[in-house]
Amino acid sequence: MKTNLDYAQLSKRREELDKCTKCGFCMSYCPVYQEELTETSVARGKIMLVRALLDGDLTLTDEMENQLNKCTLCMACAENCPAYTDVPALITAARADRTDKQGLPYAYRFIYRWLLPRRQLFGYAVKIASWFQGIFLPKTKGTIRHLAMFLSALGKGRHIPEIAPRFLRQSVPEVNLPPEGVKTTVTLGYFTGCMTDFVFPELGKKIISFLTNNGVEVIVPRGQGCCGAPVFLGAGDFTTGRKMADSNVRAFKDVDYIITDCATCASAMKDYAKYLADTPERAEEYAAFGAKVKDITEFLVDILQLPAEAYRVAPEYRGKTVTWHEPCHLGRHLGVKEQPRKILESLPDIQYVEMPDADRCCGMAGAFSIKHYDLSRKIAEKKIASIDSTGADIVVTDCPGCEIQLIDGITRKNMPQKVMHIMELFE
Amino acid sequence: MISAKHIDKLRETIGEKNVLTTAEDLLAYSYDATNLWSHRPDVVVFPACTEHISRILQYANENGIPVTPRGGGTNVSGGSIPIKGGIVLCMTRMNRIIEVNKNNLNATVEPGVILQDFNTALAEEGLFFPPDPQSFAGCTMGGVVAENSGGPSCLKYGVTKQYVLGLEVVLASGEAVKLGGLTPKNRTGYELIMLFTGSEGTLGVISKITLRLLPAPPSNQTMVAVFSDVAVAGETVSSIIASGVLPSKIEFVDNWTFEKFRGLLPDKILDNSQVILLIQVDGLPAAVEAETEQIAAICKNTAGEVRVAENTAEAEKYWQARSAHFSDISSRAHTIVNEDVSVPREKIADFIRQSQESARKHDVPISFAGHVGDGNFHPVVLTDNRDKEHFARALKCVEEIIEIALSLGGVLSGEHGIGLEKQRFLKRAMDPVAIEIMKQIKHLLDPNNILNPGKIWEESPDEDQS
Repeated sequence: MKTNLDYAQLSKRREELDKCTKCGFCMSYCPVYQEELTETSVARGKIMLVRALLDGDLTLTDEMENQLNKCTLCMACAENCPAYTDVPALITAARADRTDKQGLPYAYRFIYRWLLPRRQLFGYAVKIASWFQGIFLPKTKGTIRHLAMFLSALGKGRHIPEIAPRFLRQSVPEVNLPPEGVKTTVTLGYFTGCMTDFVFPELGKKIISFLTNNGVEVIVPRGQGCCGAPVFLGAGDFTTGRKMADSNVRAFKDVDYIITDCATCASAMKDYAKYLADTPERAEEYAAFGAKVKDITEFLVDILQLPAEAYRVAPEYRGKTVTWHEPCHLGRHLGVKEQPRKILESLPDIQYVEMPDADRCCGMAGAFSIKHYDLSRKIAEKKIASIDSTGADIVVTDCPGCEIQLIDGITRKNMPQKVMHIMELFE
Repeated sequence: MISAKHIDKLRETIGEKNVLTTAEDLLAYSYDATNLWSHRPDVVVFPACTEHISRILQYANENGIPVTPRGGGTNVSGGSIPIKGGIVLCMTRMNRIIEVNKNNLNATVEPGVILQDFNTALAEEGLFFPPDPQSFAGCTMGGVVAENSGGPSCLKYGVTKQYVLGLEVVLASGEAVKLGGLTPKNRTGYELIMLFTGSEGTLGVISKITLRLLPAPPSNQTMVAVFSDVAVAGETVSSIIASGVLPSKIEFVDNWTFEKFRGLLPDKILDNSQVILLIQVDGLPAAVEAETEQIAAICKNTAGEVRVAENTAEAEKYWQARSAHFSDISSRAHTIVNEDVSVPREKIADFIRQSQESARKHDVPISFAGHVGDGNFHPVVLTDNRDKEHFARALKCVEEIIEIALSLGGVLSGEHGIGLEKQRFLKRAMDPVAIEIMKQIKHLLDPNNILNPGKIWEESPDEDQS
């Protein structure tokens, strides 16, 4: 019989765990349940498993681990839970206790504990991988190739964009001032995230120039690293997550706002206080840090309050029909639902159409899509069908992870849509 | 416990991936939405077709293995809990909508279709299946029929049994039988479809369902009325019905769950009130408008606040707040005992007054919600089963509430069914001869007592052999 103390993170959330009344409402919202139709897939089932774990009725078996991993943390269940159960917090806590007790498999330990926290080295690793990619892997059509070697071992041939030849951090200065004649109204720190840094550096450059042209001084602190989402949320490795959090807090200590172009990064950084604060000092630091984090669309609409004419659609996209995929981390985790739509609806040069279930999870969810690739693809199929039904030329979103999933799904279906970040629409 | 040999046989019969046996799987099929009962099965199987069900039941029957049919597992009676272990026969993967026929106003579905998905498909055709149990988001059509589900709309439209035209049922022997048909009128022999509708999985496994449908009402209107006195709200319901109008729904929630209405209604009103009535009328726009006016006028005589929803979004918010009641109240106490009595409409106010007195006498918190329009109530007693003394008082109060309902001419269960949760009251609520007839029917159809054993009536010691 296990005692509660064996599961430190779960024990802390006992009250949350007991909120679930087993009503089963979550069945209607859970993208994983809707594919598998088994009770262990849905929030109610997972909560009951975790409760049994804490009560000593079940143990940490491979199957338990499998079920804990099989959740996209999309939060659709929690948003609709009549008992207000914070399901993602319970799954994350269970993952942390699992990792605490059993450690991580070697490959993950290497990437998460050793490589990811070492930003410079991680950059080189990705670089080397991309170099090998060109030699060993056949190029596929257009800009899409099979992913770099070290990731493709995990990614099972997913179609994703190639690794950029020059990373964002190598291409832009640390301090980016508005052009001459434009008055600086605000200074912010830009958290670039791994994807923008290594895969989509052009997006990063576009965001910096958009901001500077609108009177924002953009600092790209060199000390920033990975947000930690795959590490502490995905793998439940709180120890490494804390190291990453600490270095990001240090890197951004002198700015009032921290903006991201990745909803997952923003949400993970806001979650430092919720999951990683193990001392009163960290609790305070992480809370202050989290309060400064803003998604780019949220910053533009709520803080900068740019006039409609500030958003000039790039010539190549004028006249196109555009639809919006709402990332789970943006809409549900950060509560940023109106802002991107407000921007899109205000653009006279495009036609904006809302897709059905725009806020439904795309199924990417980082390591989830690697461990459960087939399931992840099935979830994506519903999203791809939604996109198809709009007849849009372009799908925009606000999370490079979602972008990769959408590119993969659209390519598989031979659909014509271009997938891009919302900020790429602009000049 | 069933043996490894049996499990191998099941795998061989319906395929490896449709048979679950890990400790995690078994735990996940040990409960439903009640909180006093749980029991793990020995194996969970997912049939893909009627043939699978037949073969599983035939094998189970030959080997005396208990079989508990299950859909979404959202029921609140303990009905889908495998209390004797054995096989959980989970129907969720038999989830095809076979046909929706607008000319015949009927639809044929497999039992695993989720009610909400069914209604979404019907809405596309301008059709409507009225029963709306509040578990609609997860409950499956097989369960809707086997539990003869109700819900708010039953006030005007009746319960599930009024919509079942035909069933395919697999008997305990494994034989599949077709009952009823496709037509709304059918006077061929006994109404055997009614025997299986509401049978709680004890007489056969429903493998296909044909349902009568209605054209979706072209418009509807929602209004809320807030009352400072519970009994006055009950009397107002009687006045509405007596005025010659039949709303599609009249729902009742008490101030235990007002939190869900914060932001929708003024705090000042909520803070000083006891009850909200949610009323919906539907039909042709002109009728809806006239009925809304009539009802609002009646409510204004007695209510502290009457509000007619200005748009669909506002109306939806009210109904979401109502749907959340069960979960909300469940989260207010470690243990809740949720009853489902139904009383004749004119006794609503008496029932509430007497039940409140009982709760005061036993010093336990009580909350009321329900489909007050048809007299179907869900009094919920809040307790903690770890506190033996409190829990005993709560059970005493529940017993009294049931006695009160019965003495007013009501019934033990309006829509949840008996399952495990209410069987201890069955003898008081049903004629002993009727109970005996049920047992004989059960014996005729399931002589080895393999189908959902241990449900509806309490077993005598000689019956309980497992």
